[in-house]
Amino acid sequence: MSYYFTILSPTDTPIFNIAFGTSKGGGDGIARFRFPDTAQYMNQFIIHSSLDILEEAQWTNGGMYLKHIDTYPPASAYISAFLTPSGARFLLLHQPPQLPSSGSSSALGASSLLGSSGSTTRASSSSVAANPTSPQTEEAVRQFMSEVYESFVKTAMSPFYKQGMEIRSPVFRSKITAAGKKWL
Amino acid sequence: MTSPGDGTPVKPPPSFSPGVARNASKSRYPDESEATASLDAELADAHTGSSPTSPLPTATAELPIRSSSPQSRSGRSSTPQLARSSIGSPFDGRSDGSEDIRSLIIRAFSPTVAIYASEDTDALVRNKGFKGGFWDLVRPFGETIPGKVVIRDSIGSSRAWEDYGVRFVNIKGLGAANAARDSPLAQMEEVLEKQLDSGEDTLGGPISGKDVLGIPATTPLSKLFLRQLLSSTPATPHETFGHPVASVIAISSRNTAPLETLRQLYAESSTGEKRLPDWIQQDYLRYYVLIHDEERDDIAESTKLYDQMKRHFGLHCHLLRLRSSQCVVTDDDSIQVPPCEWLSPREHLSGVGEAETLVDLGTDGTPYLFDSDATAIKTFIRELMVQSVIPFMENRVAVWNDQVASRRRGISGRLAAVSRRWPFGSSSRSGIGSSGGNSGNYDTTQNFYAPESPEATLRKMADFAFMLRDWKLAASTYDMIRSDFGNDKAWKYHAGAHEMCAVSMLLNPLAMSAKIKLESVDQMFETACYSYLTRCSDAPHALRSLTLAVELLKSRGGSATETAARWAMRVMDFGLVESIGQILFMERVAACYASKTPVTGAKWGARRRKAGMWSILAADQWLKAGKPSLASACLEEAERLYADVLEADGAFPMPEMQTFVDNLRHAVKVEYLEARGFDARDESPIEDPIGTEEISEKLDKRSHRRSLIGLPAQLDAGNLKLSPGPGTLEEAPNDDFERA
Repeated sequence: MSYYFTILSPTDTPIFNIAFGTSKGGGDGIARFRFPDTAQYMNQFIIHSSLDILEEAQWTNGGMYLKHIDTYPPASAYISAFLTPSGARFLLLHQPPQLPSSGSSSALGASSLLGSSGSTTRASSSSVAANPTSPQTEEAVRQFMSEVYESFVKTAMSPFYKQGMEIRSPVFRSKITAAGKKWL
Repeated sequence: MTSPGDGTPVKPPPSFSPGVARNASKSRYPDESEATASLDAELADAHTGSSPTSPLPTATAELPIRSSSPQSRSGRSSTPQLARSSIGSPFDGRSDGSEDIRSLIIRAFSPTVAIYASEDTDALVRNKGFKGGFWDLVRPFGETIPGKVVIRDSIGSSRAWEDYGVRFVNIKGLGAANAARDSPLAQMEEVLEKQLDSGEDTLGGPISGKDVLGIPATTPLSKLFLRQLLSSTPATPHETFGHPVASVIAISSRNTAPLETLRQLYAESSTGEKRLPDWIQQDYLRYYVLIHDEERDDIAESTKLYDQMKRHFGLHCHLLRLRSSQCVVTDDDSIQVPPCEWLSPREHLSGVGEAETLVDLGTDGTPYLFDSDATAIKTFIRELMVQSVIPFMENRVAVWNDQVASRRRGISGRLAAVSRRWPFGSSSRSGIGSSGGNSGNYDTTQNFYAPESPEATLRKMADFAFMLRDWKLAASTYDMIRSDFGNDKAWKYHAGAHEMCAVSMLLNPLAMSAKIKLESVDQMFETACYSYLTRCSDAPHALRSLTLAVELLKSRGGSATETAARWAMRVMDFGLVESIGQILFMERVAACYASKTPVTGAKWGARRRKAGMWSILAADQWLKAGKPSLASACLEEAERLYADVLEADGAFPMPEMQTFVDNLRHAVKVEYLEARGFDARDESPIEDPIGTEEISEKLDKRSHRRSLIGLPAQLDAGNLKLSPGPGTLEEAPNDDFERA
């Protein structure tokens, strides 16, 4: 499972980005997305496009944690979202690992960019990462999000931070990494 | 949490192209707006003359976000073909665009009429320049029947259709079509490639939509794809759309023994060597046509013969008066034969009905007809359909509905169905009668139902109802039989019934307002697709059902469009289409998302960002496929879609996205210009200093393409930063008004 976590300001500008991989089940914590290295912009495209759904979901869902809101099927990327009162939004893109057997069906040029997807949801391992829409995953993401929210509030209260500014604090980054290790 | 850009009352268009964003409604007349833009450009020339120095301070003041300066904006978002960017509001074009697709789909399922002509008839018609004989002559005329066709449905209410059609097939090809075909999907891809290559230099790609003002709902290429797809499936046992509803038996007045020939043709087609395959029901309508040669034969003789025919064969007869000599363009009353709309991919590849072959052959093979002949043929087809075929079909549907379906629908039929599923000893066989029929009806060795079995009859009835556009009856009938096929493990029938049930439910304009129905439709497509692909490995049919799902769900609007987009992604995922098809489906995904309108009174609910993303991805793929003009069209579409959701200057908030889009735009521009024969490499890339970029841009564009003349006007607006957005917007309508 690979993760791409973004905090968006109320004006849709990203103020914090981090990509990491799972540490559960022997994972080494390094993100391995299905896109080739030249196409990492796809993560941002997918996150950006899910804002459409987010804008809709935030009015129809009462909670701050909106759970899994969007999917990008060609690369089986799943988006979970969390709203903060200040208007910043946390978006987590998670992508189950690619099975070595899959990808045989799509040896086409067009699909290389989309990232080939296989029947990954039926992976054999029972870890949190295996099934992105399971309640366990939702719960783990929720824990992660609330821990991030805590750190975010502390960072945002810093007198040197203005709303909408990019978060450069290494402390914040390490806290997010730790939360990712802990929950995802 | 809307972006603050939405809060401001007006914002300047993100792309510099005239009339893309808010003032889109006025730019419905591309020429006009272009003219005004060019005039503005002339006015602005005075400013731009001195601009290289003057705008720099303002631009550098804003440098941290370079994209917000008008100069860099112009560099970025300039895609070629700006003249085409006049797209009206995405909402007013949508409805007729989807109506168009619906009509296309409906017409694809027209009744089939087989043609069986005697040798002398074919010889007569071949004389007129139609190599394929009588079938070749009437086929193009059958595609639209002139005038309204009134059809009564099962509950007795009638409805008139303007666009009814009939598909004529040659009886000789009907049985053989099944055997000799290699993958129609590969052929379709080939056709698309051919179309792309030939259409590339005309009007900058087939997407340009020269007829209607920029309807984003569909592109000519994807329409071609859909038509190809729907006409590529030959007659199969599991569905009866390709089976003849009637057959036309034709002789000419040259025949020496007319009545005997007619008898002989009839015998050949029903029992002889021209007999259709076993899985086709044999009691279709026979229609007898006498072709009178106006130039060589005596009309009195023919009339006498015709009267004789009527006495022998009943009312289903027609006397068609044609001239036997060939018509050429220079003749007074010559009209061109309309091109065939429904050519299968194979015919496309072999060049049937292609304009280029006609040009090559000169007058030799040009399909021209005398006006009188064309009128006679139209009258003949109308009479055939309105007076014989449609009443015949209506009658059949009524009879089968009465005899087979109602019994099956009744309480005993249901019991029978249940008892078949859980056999309680031998009692299940009693009291069912002909309607009951257990699973023995399915011939597992040859994989079809005997045409007389109730299952096949019901399927045929449903297909008839579908072709008569009585979708309610069709849907209920498909619904009734679809589980039976599953019980018999007749998977192809099973898939077909599920597919058509879902399609007819979607076509039925009255039904299905509830969301639950939509889910069941979804489920049916899922089942159909699984049965086709996994159980029968029948990719063409699977692709057809998924494409129909995409198009029909999209035309439903609302939340169905998202489902449509999901199906389109599934098509790509399954690998049913090859490279060009993949790109087409990416465009379809974009179109699906784009057609989702926001909730009334709210800002949310649209899917602009998703649509924009898919357009950009499609543009990238078009570029990789070496079609820069199509790529630029997609890019432009993306710009339009992003206009509402991005900040005022059209800059993406995410840096990597921005870089990608910038590079893509540049690459598209370079390739486009190169394809047009300009050396575009001297054009500075985006990273260059602002001043030089602007100058080179200006010289380049204005010397080569009129369409980009709108550029300086925008620059001008940017320079006068004192009156930003509103100023430009006010200016533009005024100009329009004065020149209108």
